Order: sequence, then C-alpha cells, then structure tokens
Amino acid sequence: MKIAIIDYGAGNLKSVANALTSLGRSFEIVSRPDNLSAFDKVILPGVGAAGSAMEKLSTSGFAEILPKLKVPVLGICLGMQLFGQFSEEGNTPCLSIVPGKVKKFQTDLKVPHMGWNKVELVKESALTSGIPNNSFFYFVHSYYLEADQSCLIGRALYEISFPAIIQKDNFFATQFHPEKSGEWGRKILNNFVNL
Amino acid sequence: MIIIPAIDIIDGQCVRLVKGEFKSKKVYSLSPLAMAKKFEQDGAGRLHVVDLDAAKTGKPVNQELIIKLAKAVKIPVEVGGGIRDLKTAERYLQSGINRIVLGTAALTDSFLLIHLLEKFGSDKIIVAIETKQGKVATNGWQTTSNKNYLDFAKELKSLGISDILFTDVDKDGTLTEPNFEGVRNLIGLGFNVIASGGISNLESISKLKQLGADGAIVGKALYENKIALKDALAAAKSASNLTKRIIPCLDVKDGRVVKGVAFQNLQDAGDPVALAKKYSEAGADELVFLDIMASKENRQTLYEVVEKVAKEVFIPFTVGGGIKTVEDICSLLQLGADKVSINTSAVENPKLISKAATAFGQQCVVVAIDARKVGKIYKVFLKGGTQETELDAVVWAQKAESRGAGEILLTSMDKDGTKSGYDLELLRRVSEAVKIPVIASGGAGSLEDLRLAFTEGKADAALVASLFHYGQFTIRQVKEYLSTNNIPIRI
Repeated sequence: MKIAIIDYGAGNLKSVANALTSLGRSFEIVSRPDNLSAFDKVILPGVGAAGSAMEKLSTSGFAEILPKLKVPVLGICLGMQLFGQFSEEGNTPCLSIVPGKVKKFQTDLKVPHMGWNKVELVKESALTSGIPNNSFFYFVHSYYLEADQSCLIGRALYEISFPAIIQKDNFFATQFHPEKSGEWGRKILNNFVNL
Repeated sequence: MIIIPAIDIIDGQCVRLVKGEFKSKKVYSLSPLAMAKKFEQDGAGRLHVVDLDAAKTGKPVNQELIIKLAKAVKIPVEVGGGIRDLKTAERYLQSGINRIVLGTAALTDSFLLIHLLEKFGSDKIIVAIETKQGKVATNGWQTTSNKNYLDFAKELKSLGISDILFTDVDKDGTLTEPNFEGVRNLIGLGFNVIASGGISNLESISKLKQLGADGAIVGKALYENKIALKDALAAAKSASNLTKRIIPCLDVKDGRVVKGVAFQNLQDAGDPVALAKKYSEAGADELVFLDIMASKENRQTLYEVVEKVAKEVFIPFTVGGGIKTVEDICSLLQLGADKVSINTSAVENPKLISKAATAFGQQCVVVAIDARKVGKIYKVFLKGGTQETELDAVVWAQKAESRGAGEILLTSMDKDGTKSGYDLELLRRVSEAVKIPVIASGGAGSLEDLRLAFTEGKADAALVASLFHYGQFTIRQVKEYLSTNNIPIRI
C-alpha cells in the first residue's frame, strides 16, 4: 500500500506523518503531482489560508489532478474546505470536488472555533466505522464547508450546525484534525488507510 | 431561545395533525396532563397547549382540562385555540394560565384584542400569525384570508402587540424545516418571535436561534422521537457543543520535567514523553511545555523532547519559552509542535506575531501575557515577571489579536502559586475584550477555582500545573466536577 501526503507548503505535515507512523504505515510526502496515480491513498492536509493554498495547488498542478483521482482521498481541515466550489476566504475558487461553499463563522462565539467538539454522525461511512456517535474531535478553524446534504456524514454544533465529516464517492474529508484527536482520531485515520 | 413543547388536544386526548388537517389526527397520549408532567420533568421551561376542538368551533371545549393541566405543573403554560371572546380569555388568565394565544380573534375582532391588551398588558398576549402561502389562516387553519401576513403583522405592531407566534401551516407536522424567511421577516419588524411548524431537527433549532427567534415550539418531532427534548434544550441554550479545555502545563529543564514553587527547589518530575502520554490518556485536552531555562544550550534538548512527544502524543501541544524569531517557531512546528507560545519577544517585536501568523497560520500563535494589577489597571510584565512595562494587559491582548494571535495565555502574577483562585477580574476583562480564546493561568487551588475561571472569568481553557503535578486531583476528577457543575467538558 502506498500512501501519499500532499505537501503544498500549507501547514504541518508532521503530525499526520507521525500519526501514520504510529499506526505502522509508511507514506511518502509528495510535492509534485506527476505520479500521484501510483498511490493507493492520498491525504490532503492543511492549515493556513485558502487563497495561498489554492494558488500553490494550481501552480504545482495538483488542482487539476486531485478531482480526477479514483483512489480514496482524505482532506483534513483546510484540505476539506478546498474540496468545495468556492471559499469566502479571499474569494477563492476551490477544487469543486464537493458541491458547497466555504463560509466564515458569523457568531458572537469565539473565532477560531478551537478545541474539542462533539460530532453527530448522520450517515454511515467506512471512514467512521467503529466510531461512537457524539465522540469528541479537535477542531481549529474559522471557516467551514457548507457541503451539500447528500455528502454529509457527521456534523458539529457551533452556533450553527456545520459539516464535520463528508464523503462524496472516493473523496472523504474531516473539518477536525484526526491526527490530533486522540484515539478516535487515530481510528478515523486507520479506517481511511484500511479502505 | 426557549424550546416550548406543544400539547394539542382533541376530545381530551393529546394529538398531532399534519398541516392542520383534522382528518390526519394521530393520538399520542390519552392524558395531556401526564404528557405535560413528562415534558416538565425532562426540563421544559414552558408549555404550549392548544384546544384544537375550540380552534375549529370557536367555543372552548377542553378548557377545564387545560386549566387543570396548568395547575399540575410548575412551569408557565400558554394556551391557544378558540379564544375568541372576553369570557374565555379571562377564564384562562384568571385561572393560572400564563399567556393566551389569539389567532382568529386577533384578525377578526380588533376590539377584543385592544380590550385584552388594556386589561392584561401585552406580555400576557401572544398573537398567532398562521400562514398558508403567505396569507393569514384562521379557524384552526380551516380557512385562509386574503390578508398578507406581513401587513397583518404591521397592524398588530401599531396596536402594541410585541409577541408573535409564527406558524407556517404548510410546514406544520411535516417534520421538514420551519419557514425561516417568515421568522426573519417578523423579527425584522421588531417582534419577539416564537417559531412553530416543521421543526424536526437540531439544525433548525440552531438556525432559529441564530436568526434571533425567542422561542421554538416543538411538537411532532418530540412525539415521534426525532429529537430528544434535552438535546433540543441544549441546542437552544448554548448552541455550541464546544467544550472547555483543561491543559496540564509541564515545565521542562534539561530534557526533564521539573516541578518547584516559583522555579525554586526544582525537583525532577519525570520524562516529558511519559508524562505527556499519561496526561493525554487521562483526558487532557491539550498540553503546554514550557522551557524554563530557555537558554541556547538547552534549545537542542528541547527540540529533542518536542520531536519525541510529537511521535507519541496525539493531542495538540504548545511549546513556549525563549522563542525569539520566526526561525525558532518554524523549527518547533516542523518538529511536530502544534502551537508556540511567545511572551517577551511578542512585546519587544510585535511583528513576530504577524509574521508567524502569516507564515504558519493564526491557530499556532499563542501570545502569553503575564499581568499584575497596578492601581486600577493590569500591567504587562516581561522576562518571567521581572520587568514591568507600561502596557495595559487588556489593550495588549487586543493588539496581539489584531496582529494575528490565535489565542491568549493569560497568567496572573498576583495569583500564581498562591492557590487562592484565578484572577477572575483580569480574566473577564481580557476575555470580553478579544474574540480569540483565552487560557486562564495562575492560582488554581481547588476544583471550584476552575469552575469560576469558566463561569465568572469567561475563560475558554484553563492551564493547570501544580494541582495535577502534586497529585492533588486527577484530570478525571477535575473534569467530572466541572461536568457535574454544567461546564461543557470532554469526558
């Protein structure tokens, strides 16, 4: 099994890499899209801003190849948001893998939404197999992908209910950081690599 | 926002209709009274009772039963259905009914409405605006008028009505979603709006709260177990499931965790990785490592610790102490730290905050502030509290936020090490002044101190050192105490 972690200069790949290592998985950090099709699993991590992330994905050629992949792809945090069509953050057109727009939290609550929040599972998915409903996961974000209902697997409540886990065909994504969400987070990553 | 369970009565039984159609009647309980008591027991703060027989005929049918019901519970009860004359209205309001809901009468008998307003006041009267395709429906929704609901609302406003119960008949009992646009329009006219009809999930409840609705009436979704009342109440109340974080703080020196009072009499407290794992497994929400030597020689040792922790601990952790440059930050993040905490160097060089936020994202920049009360303000101190500045801690926190800080770690120097509780005033002042999360630090001596940091101090997280290190409490004990005292906590 070959797992690719896409390095597009946005964010800390180390924690995803460490989590995979602890699960006994090897991986490759990939910064060019040329042979992406040779991998069995692809992870798109990311913290940072949508604008610069999309710019890097576009100039490196990932933006064109990613939506066409047939193998399981996992987007994490900003990686999930980039799956959408458009982000309010810097008015950025995104990868259009999943129908929906990325919006900023409009709330009197603290932003970023930072910390452990409950995820209510609304639909079964191989990604969440064995995860109890309403388990806690670690979030850090100011924007969220208002994905089409048809893709919704799990949601969390922060004044509004927003998508926390989505799936469209072979594309999976979590708004939280599974690599930083303790045991249940590791379970999600493990489910993904075992798909 | 308040969640109001609905009890609709036909022939003395508790029923639900679909879109107000009487022939769609489904009986859920033979005893509306038992139902009311159950809702009260489950935490409802108010009940909405409708005499459907009366709504249809215009004459009270289940009135005495409803009065009996209201007397059987302690929570306020509002009643609607067939209140079309003074006598019926008076009977209710003088028999312990908290508020009456007027529908048809409000449209057809403005004389009665004005009279009731004069006699009982606007806080005793709710006008129900029930619409079918934007027109006002009456007589238990059996007929539709030609009046647009917003025109009707404007007339009500001029009469002095302040509370509206808004129902979209086409949504009621359908378990879809409420007519959000209608709710928004009525709030826009300045009414207190209670939404009703089609509320079938927690999402709708959150959205109504977000729109600024005063209340939401939930009927069928409760009877059909689509929503648990306690979940609805929770969603309406906090509208967030985000939990408060408990963060153990580990002081690191020469690659070991040390403990002591005010950095004196340091004792070895063990291997950082082993302790980090232990705390993580015990339920810590995050960890903070503080390099208390922060010397150049010690840096390499710290890096090794960070790298090891990152490989074995799968919760977020912050590293602080002696960070001066973007390169320092970059090194720590690349080794696997999730956040860095900067203190003195952020004050001396505020651009460091913005540079780090731009390069690595706002979420990984924690600005640590050490503050002490001097006169009426809290002043910022640097270099481990040894150097006083003229900076106001509240002003500095706001400035740090505008520079791109993702979080504030706020330590009260007056309280640190005293175990007399957090400085709640300092906490509250800073927490209310910024939109980013604030971590309380310094002074925790009891479980109650932690609770107060969240309730009075409005903190988002609490840093705990000696309370855990000396085994006074376990993380589990702290979390259970807070959870029992209604602080949202991850357990």
